[in-house]
Order: sequence, then structure tokens, then C-alpha cells
Amino acid sequence: MMAQLAGMSFQWQTSSGGQVTVGDVALTPESRALIVRWPKGGLVWVRPVALVVERGEEQERVLIADVTRELQLGLLGLAIIAALLALAIPALVIRRRRD
Amino acid sequence: MSAKLTKAVISLARDREQSMELLDRLIAVAQPGAAYGVPIISGDYTLITASEVSLGMGFGYGLGGRAVPEPAAPEAAATEGEPPSKEQQPGGLAGGAGGGGGAGVRPVAVISIGPQGVRIEPVIDATKVTLAFLTTLGAMSVMLARIFRAGR
Repeated sequence: MMAQLAGMSFQWQTSSGGQVTVGDVALTPESRALIVRWPKGGLVWVRPVALVVERGEEQERVLIADVTRELQLGLLGLAIIAALLALAIPALVIRRRRD
Repeated sequence: MSAKLTKAVISLARDREQSMELLDRLIAVAQPGAAYGVPIISGDYTLITASEVSLGMGFGYGLGGRAVPEPAAPEAAATEGEPPSKEQQPGGLAGGAGGGGGAGVRPVAVISIGPQGVRIEPVIDATKVTLAFLTTLGAMSVMLARIFRAGR
């Protein structure tokens, strides 16, 4: 997937890497890359997504969880909720007192 | 356009081309295969690391000054004892360029292939999680302080 905005190009691609065979197990890693380019630079962010495990005729796609990122995002969510409550609750208390 | 200015512009264009070429090479390095390490065999087990790879690069350049044709006879003004007029002063050009970049690799999981099958062990960055936890704790403290203050 590719998009262009104000001279910047955004590319979001999922691709499979080379297959690794260990014994009777064949593994195909999958990763997702975000490539952003602007006239004077760019950035690339690649992260592993899943692993396709093939054993004989059996095929299974195992997702790779980024636990650190999930925990960080969870805590960030809590912090945002806390900040919103800190804004909302005093406002509600003041309104009730006026009423 | 003076020869100096032409030379400077050509030099900047060349620098830009080289920078873009470098960026293309960096992007090629960070293609999806970079997220997975080379399999490491240890006894009955084969280990593959899965990492998050990120890199960025940026550069900039600028050119400024006054491009004035060099005076035909600069000695003439000097011999008369008067300072050269603005038109007689030689043009000056200045330019600069700079760039910067960074790259990082963070392990996300270790894939272990052994007699028991394929297992994916997550790698948890305790420092990052602790920092996020402390930030959340700070936000919670501020929230509680505000609520108590409003309750009084």
C-alpha cells in the first residue's frame, strides 16, 4: 500500500522472508514495513508480524506478539484515561455545587 | 551566473544525489528480512531472533550570498584611495549542508524450534515498561490530587 501526501510518500508493505527449514519443519517469517520518504530524508520501520510453520501438509500461522509495545500502549491508555478523568471529575463537582 | 555559484550549485546537487543514494541503500538494508536474525543452532534447538528495526535519516543544505561579477580592474579603485563601491566588491557565496540519522534494533521475540515444536518466547524490555509504569503512576497521582482538591 502506498500513499503520497505533500511530497512525502508512505509505503506500508507486508512481506515474507526466506524460508528456514529445521528438520521436518519449514518456517516462513512475515514482517511488516513502514517506509516514509520525504524530499530530504526518510525513515523505515520494520517489525516482525507472524511465522508460518509448515510441518508436512500441516500449516499454521503463529502471530508474534510484541509484549513490550502492548504493555507500553496499555499503560499509555491508562494514563490518558487518568488525565481525562482528572479534567472531567473536578468540572462535574463544580457543576454539582453550583446546582 | 558566476563560475563560483555554478560550481557550488553543482556540488550541492551532487551532495543531494549522494544523500538520496545513501537513503536508498539504507532502505534496502532495512527490508523485511532484517527483522529476523540468522538461525543459531544449539544442540537440538534452533533459535531465531525477531527484532523491530527502525532507521531514519534526514539532511539539509543551504546556499546564500551575493553573486557579483568580479570587477574588471580592482586595482583602479585601490589606487585612487577610495574604498571600492558595492558593485566593485567581489561577490561572496556561502553554503552549508548537514545531515543526521539514527538506527535502532529492539528484540521482540525469540523463536525456538526444538523437539517439542515451535515456540515463540516474547522478549520484554523491563526498562521501557518500568518507565511507562512510572509515567502512568505520575498521571494517576495528578488525577487523584485534582479530584481531592475539587472535593474540598
